[in-house]
Amino acid sequence: MKQFLLRNIFLWLFLTLPIFAFSQGMVNGNITDSEDGVPLAAVNVVVKGTTAGTTSDFDGNYEIEVSSFPSTLVFSSLGYETKELEVSGPTTLNVSLAPSATGLDEVIITGLASSVKRSNAANAVATVSAEELAGVTPPQTLDGALQGKFAGALITKSSGAPGGGISVRLRGVTSVNGNAQPLYIVDGVYVNNSSIFAPGLNDVSRAAAGGASVSSNQTQDNPSNRIADLNPDDIENIEILKGASAAAIYGARAAAGVIIITTKKGKAGKTKISFSQAIGSNSVINLRGLRNYTAEIAENGFGAGQGALFTQAQNDGSLVDYEKEIFGENGFISNTNISASGGTEKTQFFAGFTNNEEDGIVKNTGYDKKSIRLNLNHKFWNDKANLSLTTNYINSSSNRGFFNNDNSGTTIGVSLTSTPPWAKLFPDENGNYPDNPYGASNPLQTRDLVTNNEKIERFIIGGTMDVMLYQKERSNLKLILSGGVDYFSLVTTSIFPKELQFMKPSNGGLNGLTAQGTTQNKDANYSAFLVHNYYTGNNINFTTQAGITKQTFSQNTTRNTTSNLIASETNLDQGANVSVSQFRLLQEDAGFFIQEEVNYQDKLIGTIGLRGDKSSNNGDANKLFYYPKASGAANLHNFDFWNLDVLSQFKLRVAYGQAGNFAPNGALFTAYNNSLIDGIVGIVVPNTLGDPDIQPETQKELEFGIDAGLLENRISLEFSYYIKKVDDLILQANNEPSSGFNFRFANAGNLENKGIELGINASVFANRDFSWDTGILFFKNKSKITKLDVDPFDTGGFGTGLGTFRIEEGKSVTQIVGNDGDGNIIVLGDAEPDFQMTFNNNFRYKDFTLSFLWHWKKGGDNINLSNLLFDFGQTSGDYDDFTLDPSGTLSNGDYRIDSFFAGNAAAFVEDAGYLRLREIGLYYSLPQNFLEKAFKGYVSNIRVGLSGNNLINIFDYNSYDPEVSNFGSNGLSSGVEVTPFPSSKRFMFHFSADF
Amino acid sequence: MKTLNKLLIVTLIFLAFGSCEVQDGKNLNGADTTSISEDVSRGELGDAIAGILSDMRERIETQVDATSVLGREYWRIQSSDPRWTGDLLTGLLDDNTFYTTAPYSARYATVKDINLVLEGLVNSTADFTEAEKAAARGLVNTLKAHELLMVLNAQYQNGIRIEVSDPDNLGSFISYDEALSSLSSILSDASSDLLNAGASFPFPIPSGFEDFNTPSTFDEFNKALAARIAVYQGNYTEALALLSESFLDLGGDLNSGAYFTFSLTGADLSNQLFFAQNSTIANARIAHPTFITDAEAGDTRLNKAPLRDAPLTADGLTGENDVFIYQSNVDPVGIIRNEELILLYAEANHITDPTEAVNAINIIRNAAGLPNYSGGTAPADLVNEILQQRRYSLFAEGGHRWIDVRRFDRLGDLPLDRPGDGTAEQFPIPQNENQ
Repeated sequence: MKQFLLRNIFLWLFLTLPIFAFSQGMVNGNITDSEDGVPLAAVNVVVKGTTAGTTSDFDGNYEIEVSSFPSTLVFSSLGYETKELEVSGPTTLNVSLAPSATGLDEVIITGLASSVKRSNAANAVATVSAEELAGVTPPQTLDGALQGKFAGALITKSSGAPGGGISVRLRGVTSVNGNAQPLYIVDGVYVNNSSIFAPGLNDVSRAAAGGASVSSNQTQDNPSNRIADLNPDDIENIEILKGASAAAIYGARAAAGVIIITTKKGKAGKTKISFSQAIGSNSVINLRGLRNYTAEIAENGFGAGQGALFTQAQNDGSLVDYEKEIFGENGFISNTNISASGGTEKTQFFAGFTNNEEDGIVKNTGYDKKSIRLNLNHKFWNDKANLSLTTNYINSSSNRGFFNNDNSGTTIGVSLTSTPPWAKLFPDENGNYPDNPYGASNPLQTRDLVTNNEKIERFIIGGTMDVMLYQKERSNLKLILSGGVDYFSLVTTSIFPKELQFMKPSNGGLNGLTAQGTTQNKDANYSAFLVHNYYTGNNINFTTQAGITKQTFSQNTTRNTTSNLIASETNLDQGANVSVSQFRLLQEDAGFFIQEEVNYQDKLIGTIGLRGDKSSNNGDANKLFYYPKASGAANLHNFDFWNLDVLSQFKLRVAYGQAGNFAPNGALFTAYNNSLIDGIVGIVVPNTLGDPDIQPETQKELEFGIDAGLLENRISLEFSYYIKKVDDLILQANNEPSSGFNFRFANAGNLENKGIELGINASVFANRDFSWDTGILFFKNKSKITKLDVDPFDTGGFGTGLGTFRIEEGKSVTQIVGNDGDGNIIVLGDAEPDFQMTFNNNFRYKDFTLSFLWHWKKGGDNINLSNLLFDFGQTSGDYDDFTLDPSGTLSNGDYRIDSFFAGNAAAFVEDAGYLRLREIGLYYSLPQNFLEKAFKGYVSNIRVGLSGNNLINIFDYNSYDPEVSNFGSNGLSSGVEVTPFPSSKRFMFHFSADF
Repeated sequence: MKTLNKLLIVTLIFLAFGSCEVQDGKNLNGADTTSISEDVSRGELGDAIAGILSDMRERIETQVDATSVLGREYWRIQSSDPRWTGDLLTGLLDDNTFYTTAPYSARYATVKDINLVLEGLVNSTADFTEAEKAAARGLVNTLKAHELLMVLNAQYQNGIRIEVSDPDNLGSFISYDEALSSLSSILSDASSDLLNAGASFPFPIPSGFEDFNTPSTFDEFNKALAARIAVYQGNYTEALALLSESFLDLGGDLNSGAYFTFSLTGADLSNQLFFAQNSTIANARIAHPTFITDAEAGDTRLNKAPLRDAPLTADGLTGENDVFIYQSNVDPVGIIRNEELILLYAEANHITDPTEAVNAINIIRNAAGLPNYSGGTAPADLVNEILQQRRYSLFAEGGHRWIDVRRFDRLGDLPLDRPGDGTAEQFPIPQNENQ
């Protein structure tokens, strides 16, 4: 290290000697915004073709050493148009930069240690800025905020339960049984996104004891996933690498894409404090509605004597719409955020605190989150080194209610299916609830007495130090060391007190159940990179980077369930029957990568790279798997022959990359489960046969694209076509059950996704008083199983009698099949949408801004089993309508029941397309001169506004919301519905001020 | 500068390949199956056999419910799964739905547990004596025959696979009759092992088998199962010989026998065949009305189907009586009882020694508060009486009614409750068997 510095010092001495004979000198000046004359800080000033560069200070002043004249100085800053100006001698050069409509000069990350201008990028990397993410309306969770913001993603909420549970699928299905969720990286820290189910819930609902034909690692307990913990207010921008062609450099965990999150950093200058408060409420989007009961329906459907009970309740006005009673709450939402940012030239900081509180649309459900962040940046060693530290502490608690599938009739959703409006379920004045004679649980009692809570304490800490090892005129070498740790503890608490109808021993219950799951999870990553930049004489830039990374994962989950409780105690030792299970995971991954990028005058840019990865999850832990990449982009508009002025930008690009997906933990082994009989401990075979020779999946993606800008980039078009193939697909394939195992892990197939993404952005008007920006995205994906080495198998459903997903060669990965009336298995639909479109608009008129985002998902089917359960309970809202039966003889309820008995599954596969107004916001900023007069410069920005989320939802789907998943966020079976927690819309009022 | 570059690159490569050693992954969450099959130790043998005895209880509620519903012993009402009153009452059984696949998989999982132990015993380097190994083999092979018999009862004329120890090379399906013979011979080999197994088992036995917890007494259980199979085959002479070596006791407690036991502690299982009386439409077992109406007056076995406070109506079916043979969710469930052996004894004698058959029948009738049998002694009459007694004595215990009417070709006698309802002769072969 010292040697390099010594050499550096020599270089510096050399450079600073006043050798005017060699025509070098200082150029300085002031940089301002061309519209309002405000000085611009942190503008990059670079001598073109060299590594010499500086940034403007907070007064907009800059000073740069130019080694030889004439030279071109390049002035660039995010949000402004880049300017290039020639200088022929030492001089004072004042520059004004115009705000840029489009983000072409924006910088995006390629490689693990380098970034590239968007205009030079060879991939369609989507970015979502802070404004786009949370600027219109505050989202409940981060991954939910991504819906509709970029092309190529199918983002599905598992249910409306507060606290998250979302699946993000980039460019189609990447894996059937392996991990199919993208890798999330926050400021260089690889964060954990697992879903960990709570104990106790399945003991009561017995969902997994029934007829689901799913692999053993999918749960129906609706757990949340950990990305929900991240605070959207802290985020500066998000980059999404959608497939292997962009994400190859991240190697074996990047097959499903990489989402790179950068949080806000401080800026040099006056310390700025921002405060914002949002208050609002949520309400259910759509209720199923009540059946039009008559005394006759009551008698026929519910048994002798029920007709009289109905008439009596009708006469004394005591009919209750229990659906509305349960789901009709307006939950109160409050989001508070305070942040401070500032610093000097050398040290900058950003600190933020956010408090989110949200009540759900069901009593006793809700989500509270507190997040504190401190980001520090410090330059030292004469600006040759930079240390940046990001720290974040999150504390959250979510109450999720007791919903989804069950086989005991106890979840709130299922007990509503058989409960008619004349049931008497309210508690008496002493708080005693009557038993529900129409079901195994009283939904009001279950709602009020059951606790299902997840508490998270999480620390995400990352640090990066980069040091310029040497810097010459035409080359420099930088060393980057970074590390991060993501630690969380998750405590899930499920309490079912004795008073519950289904807990009473007289009803065969367990006399109270308390369960607690505790997970300690720590993920850590370390990496070291070297980046070398070299400029040739005719402005060809070579960037070489090489590095090594190491990641460790550890998880220890204990799940304790105690039943037959003492009184109303909930400690785990306060009961007769205690059971415990433990799961541990230890994993280590290590890898290296090298990448070379060649940039010929911003006209032709080519990149090749290679990543090697190994993992303790593989049979041979030290075997390296290689993932190459190559890409090229041609900025035709920069070439001399380009004379089409109307096309101010025209880029052709192609990229190829490979990424991997290691086998899920445990796939190597066939481990016994434990058993107990009469106090004698035992071992029993598991459901799934492991494969000690299992290989990781390999994804290969080829992407072609065209980026074009018209009318000085006021209109920009982006088009991409991709082919994504996955080989050695890890399948938890069905096995002949007579072998003793229902499933076996095997590399047994290939799949392919092909799709297009098209984006158009236009800055339609841009005046002083009025501006209008609009954007349209259109994207479509088709998948196919191209090879299957095992026999076709069903997954993710409840058998062909009710509709299930089926993995079959030559067919779509997400096809839904079922029996027709004659016992044949036919294709009934596909969960993949026909296409998705989003329409985004931002209007500004004087001090008002209006933004809204429409999202249209066309096609894509769900397996909707809620209707059938309501039919069997005789409570479907549309039971007596005649819209389903083609022959017009059977009412809807009878038709569905008849289909079920006839073994015809078509009635349960429904189109789940929708048109949603995802976000809309109207804001007013108080005018600057008013603020000056009133607050004398202490307050710089006051904004008030109204916003809404999912305010308009248009769909034909016959249930609460087409966006639903009974089986959680992993795997491919989103889109199966069994009486979920309904989704909600939000409406909020905002106030924010900057000091 | 160039040397610097080279040095850096070399260091980097060295680092990449040298220091990034990754530890082999281990499974932290349980013993691997190879730890048994490659060499079972003394302690492990106890764990593995306890596992087998525990696994025999997996999904028996689905198994008993499905076969009992097919035999119209009772209706299984479950608001969150309408297939109980759909497929199982229309007789249109699906090959990929839980009522077919869950009991099938569960029984074969137990068979796999057993095969791993057998393999482990062959490979064992532990200090087992020959007698101890014979004791283990005898016990597990008897249980294997029982498990396969459960599958065969469901699959009937489809046949089953018997040889399933290699998952990559499963034996082919053999026909019903061949399978029964094969199970018979498995039991007789196991019996020889048991009779050469010394005085005790080298591992603990749960309390459900407390009358059979030595090799010689366990052999009585083995012979009882073999007698059941012999009666299914129609080999009455052999059945009588086997019954004489079993725990049959004409004067003894009808409820003596082998049982599955349950508890609520830890990983133990609860008795899912228990529902409280007056259960709601969410989960109920409702006795078929003909169980009440076809009974002789005064039959105390009607206590197995007590009257509900209010009838339950679901899916076009209305019933007034619950099925209530277990008092709690930790009550034991019979595997095979003396009462069944007495009835097997009656059936084995009904052609060659009708008087003895009638004696046995009367033991059952008297125990149920009924007077002695006064009907004809022609084989056809005795068969009717025996089927009637089996129907009431073995009510809701393992689907006996369906098996019995089927083996006497009387499926058509079963009542159909709604238009469109029907019976089924067997469950389909599960789809994943790829037959």
